[in-house]
Amino acid sequence: MKIKSQKDFWSGLMFVGSGLFFAFWAMAFYQMGTAVRMGPAYFPTVLGFLLAVLGALVLLESLTLEPEGDQAVHTPFNIIDLVVTVAIYAILIVLSQTFSLASEWPILGGTIIVSLLTVVFRPDAKPIVLVTAATIAYGYLMKPLGLVIATAALVYISALGGHEFKWKEVTILFIILVLFSVLVFVKGLTLPFPIWPEYFS
Amino acid sequence: MDQIFHNLVIGFGVAVTPINLLFALIGCLLGTLIGVLPGIGPVATIAMLLPITFNLSPVGALIMLAGIYYGAQYGGSTTAILVNIPGEASSVVTCLDGYQMARQGRAGPALATAAIGSFFAGCVATVIIAVAAPPLAEVALKFGPAEYFSLMVFGLIAATVLAHGSLIKAIAMVIWGLLFGLVGTDVNSGVLRFSFGIPELSDGIGFVIVAMGMFGTAEIVANLEMKEQREIFTSKVKNLWPTKQDFKDAWASVLRGTALGSALGILPGGGALLASFGAYSLEKKISKHPEKFGKGAIEGVAAPESANNAGAQTSFIPMLTLGIPSNAVMALMIGALMIQGIAPGPQVMNEKPQLFWGLIASMWVGNLMLIILNLPLIGMWVKLLTVPYRYLFPSILVFMAIGVYSLSNNAFDVLIMGVFGVVGYICAKLECEPAPMILGFILGPLMEENLRRAMLLSRGDPTVFFTKPISAGFMIASVILLIGVALPAIRKKREEVFVEEG
Repeated sequence: MKIKSQKDFWSGLMFVGSGLFFAFWAMAFYQMGTAVRMGPAYFPTVLGFLLAVLGALVLLESLTLEPEGDQAVHTPFNIIDLVVTVAIYAILIVLSQTFSLASEWPILGGTIIVSLLTVVFRPDAKPIVLVTAATIAYGYLMKPLGLVIATAALVYISALGGHEFKWKEVTILFIILVLFSVLVFVKGLTLPFPIWPEYFS
Repeated sequence: MDQIFHNLVIGFGVAVTPINLLFALIGCLLGTLIGVLPGIGPVATIAMLLPITFNLSPVGALIMLAGIYYGAQYGGSTTAILVNIPGEASSVVTCLDGYQMARQGRAGPALATAAIGSFFAGCVATVIIAVAAPPLAEVALKFGPAEYFSLMVFGLIAATVLAHGSLIKAIAMVIWGLLFGLVGTDVNSGVLRFSFGIPELSDGIGFVIVAMGMFGTAEIVANLEMKEQREIFTSKVKNLWPTKQDFKDAWASVLRGTALGSALGILPGGGALLASFGAYSLEKKISKHPEKFGKGAIEGVAAPESANNAGAQTSFIPMLTLGIPSNAVMALMIGALMIQGIAPGPQVMNEKPQLFWGLIASMWVGNLMLIILNLPLIGMWVKLLTVPYRYLFPSILVFMAIGVYSLSNNAFDVLIMGVFGVVGYICAKLECEPAPMILGFILGPLMEENLRRAMLLSRGDPTVFFTKPISAGFMIASVILLIGVALPAIRKKREEVFVEEG
């Protein structure tokens, strides 16, 4: 059996996997009910199996139908990289729970580890990983460190994901964006963001 | 007729108050801005601004957000004509002939034709909404749960049929969206579903967060992976006014584009994008000189530009009368209504006539503003295009992050946006369309609710969806749509297989 369309193969697999997951999870933990009085499991179970069937069809097509155009999947990372990423977060979350640390730590720590691994081993994946990491850093740094530092993290990290990185340019951009955020969002629209770290102000 | 006139008077009374004029102006300017800039679309922009609209009046918020949507249609054409890059997805076909006109030194007439065509289409579409919405809402008030469920099935099927790419994958994406939409507390039983012990998930995943991740982050990354190359067509824009011959060539195309765009906009899954593609191929088909297309035919600018603006506006009809979104932007508009504590649906027209007619009147006002503002401001918009993307994307990211974070001042929301950004990125690589998923996502809980009620009323008899006439109509229409699209696809693929074997 040869895979004729990589794109269809992986999307079919994705649909079958998540469909079965939703269906079995619902059946295992929620009440099914009857067609007259549907329980919380009814609709997700039906949808989950439907999704799995459609996914199986896509999978079947990927093995039989001659594809049109380029059917290779061009991602700068492979399925093992994805599994490793998920594993890193999972291990850190379990560790943080055993040492009863706040949930921010494994998220931030995992993001730093994955970003560093990407820069070293998968430079082509920098855009997707660093852009995502930049927004996550922004969200998790806002409460403890305030808007200025969170914005700095977002601007510098995301700029590293671009083609060119010039310290001077990025710093000017950062200053403009911080001023704009403070004036428009905090002063103008009165969003309750801390501007500086807590012990500072 | 009197009633319509009376309603429009109410509407204009609301729309021309200074504060609402200001909101319309902000919306139109912002819309044009993001329309001109490639790489950021109305979905991401409206999603970003949604949390902020909480502080505005409901009508002001809707007027501004609507302005962004149709303003983007104006702005997108400017980039398409001058730079040969669609500033907006719906301007893709405008590139074909618009840029050729610019190369021939006729950028001015191309821009003017696009603007005038859009304005005409906007006026017509406003009237269509004013005339068609009240009777539709009247019908919708009689809908029971079975009719609503079937209507949503029809809407989702239509959305997948009109999406390009594989039909099965599009339907799978819809179901995926429906399933993600079920995360959180089940309203009937109070059971927490698929929340995995995470307290932030008990209220479900915010729609804005998913939309920003799937459209915003994923799009930025896609742009970053492409090499940055943007050649601006530097010829000075002069002789804005089209010639008599241009008018003669273009007026019929504007009419056809408007008609087709208005019709396609109302369809679920339709809107500006489909309208512009449809209008261009129609023009090419019926033209006496099809060979002129792609070489600077003015009809190839006039028709799609009229169509995308008409479609952008008539896509408000199902949202306003049925409370059902026909595309991702309308889903966000429903989100905006819900933020204001207004349940979208046919009752809005009677309970909040100021809001309903104010919004419609503002569309006409907004279109007028766009045509007055845009032609003189073209030089400024062109200058914006010279801003390199490496300054733009961190700025866009800052606004996205602020928007998501301010929803509930919670870092977890930003994390979810990141996760859906990665999901959206992978989906794009696998050629799975995100738009049907977003529609499924917002309709998921509604569909389950109506399915439950319909089955309770029919005592568990599933034939109820086929015995009630209106519901049966929607179901039959869905089946016809599915078969209609599936057949040629199967035939085509089969032929290819046969060719291979023979």
